[in-house]
Amino acid sequence: MDHVRIEATERTPEVYFDFNGHYFSLRGEAYPEDTNAFFGPLMNQLEDYFQTLDEATITFEFELIYFNSSTAKVLMMLFELLDATAARNNAVKVHWIYEADDDNMEVLGEEYGEDLEHVDFSLVPKEA
Amino acid sequence: MRTDKIYSLSKVLQEEGILFCYSGYMTEDVLLSIGKAIKEKLMLENADKSVIRGIFSIFVEEMQNVIRYSGQMESKVSANSMLELRFGILSVGRKQLANDQESFFVACGNMVSPTDAQRLKTNLDHIQALDAQELKTLYKQTLKGKSPEGSKGAGVGFIDIARKSKRGFEYDFIDISTDRTFFSITAYA
Repeated sequence: MDHVRIEATERTPEVYFDFNGHYFSLRGEAYPEDTNAFFGPLMNQLEDYFQTLDEATITFEFELIYFNSSTAKVLMMLFELLDATAARNNAVKVHWIYEADDDNMEVLGEEYGEDLEHVDFSLVPKEA
Repeated sequence: MRTDKIYSLSKVLQEEGILFCYSGYMTEDVLLSIGKAIKEKLMLENADKSVIRGIFSIFVEEMQNVIRYSGQMESKVSANSMLELRFGILSVGRKQLANDQESFFVACGNMVSPTDAQRLKTNLDHIQALDAQELKTLYKQTLKGKSPEGSKGAGVGFIDIARKSKRGFEYDFIDISTDRTFFSITAYA
């Protein structure tokens, strides 16, 4: 398996995981009907893959328009996973992309970013 | 239903400043369609983009609470599936607040068991007493911790509602019978 691509729906984000290219992204809306059913398998794949990395450089981009509270919990787990991966001799870059006038999405990004000790985290405002 | 009954119902809603109201069985499909209608209606009302985002977010959390937890439900179990429908009422409106500011609100009500009512009240009393910084701390702790027992979501929905309610929120309980309590929450964005 070298990549995962899931098209966006009205309530689930576009998922693109390029394992060989070390590039990962989630874009769009995230309030799935069943959060665990949607994110569970994806989280497992990431966990398994990150385990194998050593001295790797990976980039993870988030460009979310809206996410509900159960997705917020999945994102927290994902950030903890990324931080643990970065702590083990890997370089992890995270770009949190948000619409420039969306203060709430900026704050949510800041709140995830401030807990990370090893990840290179940046907030990226995007003009509409 | 007689026309005069329907008219008086719609008049009550109008007097309460309600722009949109749904009462009935709530499902994730209903959530998706109502969510779109609410966004469109608020755009027509020239609401701020940040207000629309806040209202939509509160709406999703309140609606998913009903879908997952409402005590008034019908279910049908068959060999390989289970159909569950839970009942609730949800409305979005506009209200003049005491400080002469106008606010959009999302109001939601559903039946709960007296035990759940007690648990909800304890939770909400606690959340309502917190300031913004304390809410942020509790929000992050809850995201990192395990979901409370009996919770199908992250257990963080009400904290999220409190954080998105820029003009506060209120809630109340009415005992209907020995095993039924009506719960409602109104959040002002």
